[in-house]
Amino acid sequence: MKFLFDLYHRLLIWLLVGTVAILVVPVTLQILSRFTGLIPSYIWTEELARFMFIWMVMIGAMIGVREGTHFEVDVLPKLGVRADALVRIVSHVFVLVFALVFIWWGIAFTHFGWDQLSEIAELPMWMIFIAWPVAGLTWLLFIGESFVANLRILRKSVAQ
Amino acid sequence: MTGVALTAGSAAAILFGGFFLLLIARVPVAFALGLSCLPILIIEPRLSPLTLFNETFKAYNSFILLAVPFFLLTANLMNVGGITDRLVRLSRTMVGHFPGSLAQINVVLSVFFAGISGSSTADAASQSKIFIDAQVKEGYGLSFSIAITAVSAVLAVIIPPSILMVVWGGVISTSIGALYLAGILPGLLIAGAQMATVHAYAKIYHYPVYPRATLKEFLVAALQSLPALFTPFIIVGGILLGWFTPTESAAVAVLYAAILSIFVYREMDMKKVYQALADTGRLSAVALFCVGTASVFGWLLAYYQVPRVLLENVTSWGLGITGVGFFIAFAFLVVGCFLDAIPAIIIVGTTLQPLAESVHMHPVQFAIIGIVSLAFGLVTPPYGLCLMISCAVAKVPLRFALKDTLIMLVPMMLVLAACIIWPEIPLILPRLISPEYLK
Repeated sequence: MKFLFDLYHRLLIWLLVGTVAILVVPVTLQILSRFTGLIPSYIWTEELARFMFIWMVMIGAMIGVREGTHFEVDVLPKLGVRADALVRIVSHVFVLVFALVFIWWGIAFTHFGWDQLSEIAELPMWMIFIAWPVAGLTWLLFIGESFVANLRILRKSVAQ
Repeated sequence: MTGVALTAGSAAAILFGGFFLLLIARVPVAFALGLSCLPILIIEPRLSPLTLFNETFKAYNSFILLAVPFFLLTANLMNVGGITDRLVRLSRTMVGHFPGSLAQINVVLSVFFAGISGSSTADAASQSKIFIDAQVKEGYGLSFSIAITAVSAVLAVIIPPSILMVVWGGVISTSIGALYLAGILPGLLIAGAQMATVHAYAKIYHYPVYPRATLKEFLVAALQSLPALFTPFIIVGGILLGWFTPTESAAVAVLYAAILSIFVYREMDMKKVYQALADTGRLSAVALFCVGTASVFGWLLAYYQVPRVLLENVTSWGLGITGVGFFIAFAFLVVGCFLDAIPAIIIVGTTLQPLAESVHMHPVQFAIIGIVSLAFGLVTPPYGLCLMISCAVAKVPLRFALKDTLIMLVPMMLVLAACIIWPEIPLILPRLISPEYLK
């Protein structure tokens, strides 16, 4: 099971690197076309850059949940292992709610963009909107995984 | 207000109350912002949770915010490509003979770094690795070393280029070229204040001093760093001359850093590039995801006209321009303790703009007060990203370096106060170099 999660995690990092790397290309083309006659001034470059950017943000936000890198404010005093696991579970329930919102209304959102085309490049908009429910689903998986881990910590310390 | 089920007061209570409760439960900030909007989106008949999607989509679908990953990528490429190493050497020959040598180098390197990258978090991440261990080995206090690394990192968003200025210019429509010029003098003053602080510490605690570098050493180091030191001129100059937009200038910085690393310094391999790209994606996505949910939060505040109600009180106090300036700085400093700077600009910057206008404060001065205050928020607890990063690198809890950080903030606050009392400090450079931007 962990193997599958690791694999998916690595795939996401791969895609993230891809989006960041590609992001530079359309903006460079945009500048080049303005200052040289080498390439025609494409107008789809700006839109493509924006859409890659949206995917980059959403993929990064998915990875952030598994790596625990979404910024938190630490106002509680230092807790023991058990209390810490308990707090994690509570905060994960809230993230879980947000994940479910992203899945439930995200599907409606994607559905709403089903027949829409983007203004310039005429890309189908669902290809962008689907990032939201995909993010929700991914959070659900990752949160579920660490949920189980935290429950184990709790149960272990009860047994001791 | 017809057709609105909730009053401004109850909407604000749900939004802020929910947000703070979720923060205490250690829900990540980005999620706490989104979740606290949820009850209102469900209660209010005219809204639906779909608003959450429309507004986050609109926030991310922005050409301006693209500058964030670009500035981070520039910083990461600088680190893996050998640019940072050259700048360390140059700083060493410039201030190495001052008391507290290594800490002085730390501050000066931040100034150079700030001129190339626009991201304080990237500065804190890279310099914590370079300096904290090295300083402790030379006999500096650990808490002092963490604190000086974190507070000098905030220069990156004050000295151009700056992510915060790009976002501010986009959200509150102020000329980014003018903001870049306006940030130079306050940034250098803050750096000076930090060097003075280091000097005082070094005298009290007898920190080590390096021998003075020879002129030849300085010239060699300067020559080697020269190509890298051109970056700020390309970025700021390119914008002022109208060659490229701020986002494009950030992409140019990426290309320039890549070219220097590959062809001039020749220290980059594919594995390092992959790591730089992955780090950039991670950090910028996590920061930007928060911008999306913060936009929904800010949108709801505006929907219920909460800012207007809040400011009605303040306007009745009859503050002058300086009083309003201090009020704005105070508001941003408080908010900066709990929120990251970009969401804070979206939520609070737009809220305070009418107040600044009501006393005829110059929009550029307003922006500098806001950005400098929010930059200080990067090292104030409980949510100070730069301090969190430096403490994480040193593997100590945030409170460990708190006292020294707060001491170092005092002289920096004086510079902020000076920028409020004398608007000329931020305004003089844009006025001299490109007065047309101030219109």
